[in-house]
Amino acid sequence: MTDRAAVQVCDLRMSYGATQVLCGVDFEVDYGEVFCLLGPNGAGKTTTLEILEGFRRPTAGTVRVLGLDPAAQPARLRERAGMVLQECGFPRQARVAELIDLWRTYYPNPRPLADLLEVVELTEARNTQVKRLSVGQRRRLDFALALAGDPDLVFLDEPTTGFDPEARRRCWAAIENLRRLGKTVLLTTHYLDEAERLADRIAILRSGRIELTGTTQEVAVLAGLATRISFTTPAALRCGQIPLPDGIDLAVRGSESVCHSGNPGMTLRLLLDWALQHSLGDLDGLAVTAPSLEDTYLQLTGAGAEPNLSQANGDRP
Amino acid sequence: MTRSVRLAMGQAFVEQRSFWRSAEYALFTFVFPLMILLLIGAANVGSYLPGTHIKNTTVFVPGILAFGVIVAAYVNLGSKVAVLRHDGVLKRIKTTPLPPGAYLGGLLASTVVTAILLTAGTGLIGWLAFGAVPRPGGLLALAVGLVLGIVCFGSLGLAVSSVITSAESAAPVTYASFLPIAIISGVFDPTFGGLPAWLSHLVDLFPVKSLAQVLQNAYAVRPFPAWDLVNLGLWTAAGASVAVWRFRWHS
Repeated sequence: MTDRAAVQVCDLRMSYGATQVLCGVDFEVDYGEVFCLLGPNGAGKTTTLEILEGFRRPTAGTVRVLGLDPAAQPARLRERAGMVLQECGFPRQARVAELIDLWRTYYPNPRPLADLLEVVELTEARNTQVKRLSVGQRRRLDFALALAGDPDLVFLDEPTTGFDPEARRRCWAAIENLRRLGKTVLLTTHYLDEAERLADRIAILRSGRIELTGTTQEVAVLAGLATRISFTTPAALRCGQIPLPDGIDLAVRGSESVCHSGNPGMTLRLLLDWALQHSLGDLDGLAVTAPSLEDTYLQLTGAGAEPNLSQANGDRP
Repeated sequence: MTRSVRLAMGQAFVEQRSFWRSAEYALFTFVFPLMILLLIGAANVGSYLPGTHIKNTTVFVPGILAFGVIVAAYVNLGSKVAVLRHDGVLKRIKTTPLPPGAYLGGLLASTVVTAILLTAGTGLIGWLAFGAVPRPGGLLALAVGLVLGIVCFGSLGLAVSSVITSAESAAPVTYASFLPIAIISGVFDPTFGGLPAWLSHLVDLFPVKSLAQVLQNAYAVRPFPAWDLVNLGLWTAAGASVAVWRFRWHS
């Protein structure tokens, strides 16, 4: 059995009765990488995660996590993989450090307590009763418990859903700490900024299918989204005294001129040559904006139509 | 095996610590039976069971012993597991490599400790306040009653936990499902009688009276409680089957 990737998912299918939740999902997560399953609610993110965690047996397809079959060897998997479920309570009378210490006894090679407290920034709250923790602190305690066995891989299911900005920021810091420890992290989220901020690679899951996989930039390119180039419309252009540049589909919108390109380097060269030719200098207000994950996501999930999309695609040289 | 036992012991310790830390819960568990023991016991001092030389308190004290065992094993364990399930603690345990048996074993061991402490407290106060002590030949019956009582009502507690859907209803459901039966089983009143025959037969079918009679046998010479032992065994089997069949790690 190959163990080249931390997580290997091949043609994963899952049905509940007649409802097909996953229709052939494929992806791989490399060791040491932070991988994000991004998708709207109901896309199948949690189902995928629960299969990888060994809580559900898939209808079809193969899954390997750290070289193990999660459904067949859940106990061995749980010694090496930490799991943060979406919602999960704590024993009512527990205190922070005590609970982490109890969790450490469950694992063959636990991480030191002080270390765990530090990673999740709960050192000061170590003697606090769990029921007195804030939402964000509770989530970070979730992380600490998932890390207690010093796992190679950590699953995080929607780690910051419903959090205020400060709580999110501190959870993100804790996840960044996981990356620094060299842990492989597989997280699900429906927040674009979270995926963009944390993930090395992203897979966009929609209606039980992976639409795209790659880095933020790769995903945008794969989605056929173009780079946006804009500048302040020169007076001469606005009055029609000079022609539009050749080979560029430039839209003059009052004070701003905009074009989209799948090859921004070449388009910029053409644009600057044209500017030089007509003595426009360096084009005031020149801005080059890479397509954001949001653009990609909205296009794929159809949550909002990007008005210039067809035009942008038509621009590609 | 040894690792599982060690983990179960650790879990039992943590459960006991959490039990005693939640003062109102521990207090209620202990004070309620002991209060009943003292108040009703005081009303029975100097009375004898009709037509016998057996003091009322001699059968009343072991009745409260049974009550304590049921509170510890059925009410406490049942509501505890329901709350753990409702809070998602059981689900979280499943994300760890802790063997499920070690976890449940720890919960049960902690229940046994609570039941034994409660039994010791009741027995001690029954002796000091009313002079009720087990007869020399009754220690075996006492031991058998305690073990069987804990096992029987513990499995019934696990079984009932699976039908409790919220943390708030855990204690009310467990108490409400056994207090009325305890009352008509005569646990609180040694001279209790006058039930219609059909109800009296029905009461004999429930395990509360059976446990009380086995423990009463440890304190006073009474007919050998063959039916009661069989009955407790049957309820244990039923409780354990439902518990295993219906047990869920998540709500």
